Amino acid sequence: MPLFTFNNIKLSGMACAVPKNKVTTESFKGLFGEEEVDKFMLMTGVTETRRTSEHQTASDLGYTAASALLNYKNIDRNEIGALVFGTSSPDYRRPASAFVIHKRLGLSVESAVFDISLGCSSMLYGLQVVASMMNSSDISKAILIVGDTATKTTNPEDRASIMLVGEASVAVLLEKVEGCEPITSLVRSDGTGYRYLIVPGGGYRNLNASHEVEICADGNKRSLHNSFMQGTSVFTFTISDIPRAIKDFWNLTNTTVDNYDCFAFHQANLYILKQIAKKLKIPLEKVPLSLVKYGNTSGASQVITLCDAYGNCEGETIKTLLCGFGVGLSWGVSSVVLNTSDIMPIIEDDTYFEEGVINSVSDL
Amino acid sequence: MVKLIEILEGIRPDVDFLNETNLINDGVLDSFDIVSIISELNDEYDIAIRVTELGPENFNSMEAIHKMVERLRTKE
Repeated sequence: MPLFTFNNIKLSGMACAVPKNKVTTESFKGLFGEEEVDKFMLMTGVTETRRTSEHQTASDLGYTAASALLNYKNIDRNEIGALVFGTSSPDYRRPASAFVIHKRLGLSVESAVFDISLGCSSMLYGLQVVASMMNSSDISKAILIVGDTATKTTNPEDRASIMLVGEASVAVLLEKVEGCEPITSLVRSDGTGYRYLIVPGGGYRNLNASHEVEICADGNKRSLHNSFMQGTSVFTFTISDIPRAIKDFWNLTNTTVDNYDCFAFHQANLYILKQIAKKLKIPLEKVPLSLVKYGNTSGASQVITLCDAYGNCEGETIKTLLCGFGVGLSWGVSSVVLNTSDIMPIIEDDTYFEEGVINSVSDL
Repeated sequence: MVKLIEILEGIRPDVDFLNETNLINDGVLDSFDIVSIISELNDEYDIAIRVTELGPENFNSMEAIHKMVERLRTKE
């Protein structure tokens, strides 16, 4: 529990957008030292990430991905009955960024639009939420967008995170299709880990938190407005709870590793992915990696990985297991059947919504 | 204990695990070392080291790690 099964709803398209700016892991050797950076690359597998400019946001990348996807699938924008955006990197404290994307995409007012405040599990929760809404309504088409720009809250001298996180957003199209393979989803949560991944300042609990940078217990510099990650706790959660959730999912759906062609996992880091694959006896050739070129891209991980692996492929049907886990703590597993011709190649884009940059109250 | 020291020395051959008693408090082991140790112990002894076990009292020395492993093996 909770396990959801959605009949007659298909994941019928996916797209991903990343910024053009590449940051190589090697470039941190001057700051952190050669030995440390080499060890980091060996453990995490990350050699390069993408980073947005000052005003470019996850919603900009999400807009780019969604717009390209709707064009690619030749969808009438008036047919989109729901737009949900999963992110921990909203444009504003309010309103939800989904409304900005709604305006930019030119969607109908006859639609349900909101954000989900999650990180690395956004895609899994988003699928469950959007499919549930479609299941109990007359919505025939919906868009789920997921993305984060985590480096904006990461201290540039935080060696635990700054080389790991990459920025990207993805968009998936869900459509009602009679007789298609069902989408099955399992989601779980553990609020006792709320501090393991946190930006403690700037929310309503501590609106005026200090911006002073301090040395943390792990030796890294951070302010209360920066991302904190208790890496060892997160790792321990990951290698125990994630394999257990996937095993439970297999038991509940009467499937095994052999029933899946592809395992699109959250790209936490290479070491974690190898540990999960080892525990579940998943052949590594079934676990595509995008983290090498794009880093840990939060909730966008699974789809950027699929776009990277299958974005230029001819039509082929793949049964895919999606898995996401992270901030909350929150995690989920879904099985979906995809046609690779519905998966777009990764788009690079540096544009942003200039109207959305409000530098003065007189702009309002 | 022999297997345990093999695991620990396999991860950090440069550390004197027989005599060090402040592996965490003195920063001898970093977070990468800890996650590697947890993985190896989970696999070798078929235990599940949970987040609640991550305090320095369980990782400051080989003796402490051994005690934690034995406790978890009994529990499992």
